[in-house]
Amino acid sequence: MIIMQRVLWIFKGRRLALIGLFWLCLVAVVALIAPLLAPFDPFEINPIMRLSEPGIPYLFGTDHFGRDSFSRSVYGARMAIIIGLGSVSVALIVGGVVGMLSAYFNRLGHFLMRVVDVLMAFPALLLALVLMTLLERSVTNTIIVIGIVYATTTARILFGMTLKLKEEVFIDAAKCAGAGHGALLFRHILPNLISPILVQASFIFAFAQLQAAALDFLGLGLPPEIPSWGNMLSEERIYVTRAPWLLIFPGALIILSVFSMNLVGDVLRDKVDPRFKLDIKGI
Amino acid sequence: MPLLEVKNLNLSVLTGNDLLPVVRDVSFRVDENQTLGIVGESGCGKSLTSLAIMGLLGGTPISMTSGSIVFSGQELTSLTNKERRSIMGNQIAMIFQEPMTSLNPVYRVGDQIIESLRKHRQMTKTKAKKRAIELLDLVKIPEPENRVESYPHQLSGGQRQRVMIAMALACDPKLLIADEPTTALDVTVQDEVLALIRDLQQRLGTALILISHDLGVIANTCDYVAVMYRGKIVEAAPTADLFSNVNHPYTHGLLNSIPVIDRDIEWLKAIPGRVPTINEKLAGCAFNPRCNIAENICTTCDPEQITLHDDHYVRCHFAKRGTND
Repeated sequence: MIIMQRVLWIFKGRRLALIGLFWLCLVAVVALIAPLLAPFDPFEINPIMRLSEPGIPYLFGTDHFGRDSFSRSVYGARMAIIIGLGSVSVALIVGGVVGMLSAYFNRLGHFLMRVVDVLMAFPALLLALVLMTLLERSVTNTIIVIGIVYATTTARILFGMTLKLKEEVFIDAAKCAGAGHGALLFRHILPNLISPILVQASFIFAFAQLQAAALDFLGLGLPPEIPSWGNMLSEERIYVTRAPWLLIFPGALIILSVFSMNLVGDVLRDKVDPRFKLDIKGI
Repeated sequence: MPLLEVKNLNLSVLTGNDLLPVVRDVSFRVDENQTLGIVGESGCGKSLTSLAIMGLLGGTPISMTSGSIVFSGQELTSLTNKERRSIMGNQIAMIFQEPMTSLNPVYRVGDQIIESLRKHRQMTKTKAKKRAIELLDLVKIPEPENRVESYPHQLSGGQRQRVMIAMALACDPKLLIADEPTTALDVTVQDEVLALIRDLQQRLGTALILISHDLGVIANTCDYVAVMYRGKIVEAAPTADLFSNVNHPYTHGLLNSIPVIDRDIEWLKAIPGRVPTINEKLAGCAFNPRCNIAENICTTCDPEQITLHDDHYVRCHFAKRGTND
């Protein structure tokens, strides 16, 4: 109950973002109980029923193998959450460690941050494409690649914040109390970084969805048999004139989820740093 | 054996390729139970000296070029970082100038006091918390059982400084360094905090180094005073002796510039000129451009430290003559 109240307080006056949060919760729940919701096996091929129109029993129609598009979308939600959480974890852990250590140990920082600079010089999608071509198509590799692409920005942000934090008097005070490097970094600096990390996580989650969809669409992301929204777009794109619903539903799901995540991210960012606050009522 | 003995401490700051000396030949000692006051203008090196004792110069452009810091018979500068950390917070503790920024905003104040207890005393959580409440009570924070759960932003400046004192005293340190502990506080709160420090120092028998630019504060609190000017101790003496028998023109100027409250004066007496920046190379005595008794010798020859009597040291060519006008 208290959590609900706090959430409502944070999202006060941001109705659209609250709807976004609701949508994300829905996606998460759908992902969790996907086997219960999906009326058909998402892998089951049924050539007789191929390219059926949306209706009953195929809510979102069927694709060119006759697989139920609704079931695939439901399992796609699962992939979306897995990719999102996975990429966020990789990006935060890699980016966090690199950024914090770079700021804390100057010399190491000179080297590591130059590597980050080089990686950041590539456009995100290009970097992801290059890395994916080097690796095999799989869920883990997609997560690692997207995670590394966004680890660079995370590292940059946390580098700057740590650089500032380590000069704070309370860090000197902690040193005076006999705290070592580990204690300083993880007990005194890290907790002060929680809010920017949270904001960063919400945006990475959104961008990871787009990035994964883009990789899938270009045929370099998840293996094609895995039901993900990006893969559905990629596989059915040639039927855009004959069966447009095959593209509309997964496309809409991607757009709604990314948009929702961005709205929620905006609210979190405003809470952390009110300077960015846009004066848009209701969003 | 003195508790802390600093000998010929030299600190330099690296600017570009030059090493500019900022603290030169500073020597002093603090005995157990004693209070030493270090006074001087901003930038005279008093804070740097305390940072050097605490070993907080790492990562700054300032480095120790020579000198020794001996604490209870142990040379601090030759210790490894780990050995030094076991002394910091345990036997030597420090109170900082800014109570607003010296507490970590994301931790409850209790947890911050508990941290050093758990590290140095290996106390259990419950025992450490009990001790934290005792400490908050000791520094006269009302309702310590509740305050221990407060975050720093929920406390006032004075209370935060009290919490800092409680943190510093957590492990019963033998030496407490207070670097301008009251500068950031209101005058009334200043007085309370100083009284508290004085009272605790006497009750617990902790040696204290009080750094300040306020001679009044020092006079009230300290047994022994060292006056610093531009990186050097220009005069050092037991408090009573220093105030009754001023020898260095700088000390004299400082004392003269304190307005007397019950006298009607048109102009405050100030020391003319300004503190030379560290980039300016000065021949002779660093104080000579501002000194009212300077003669030729002062611009060519830097005065050595002279012992006047017992514990009264001064760096001035005209020390024995006296400068009282």
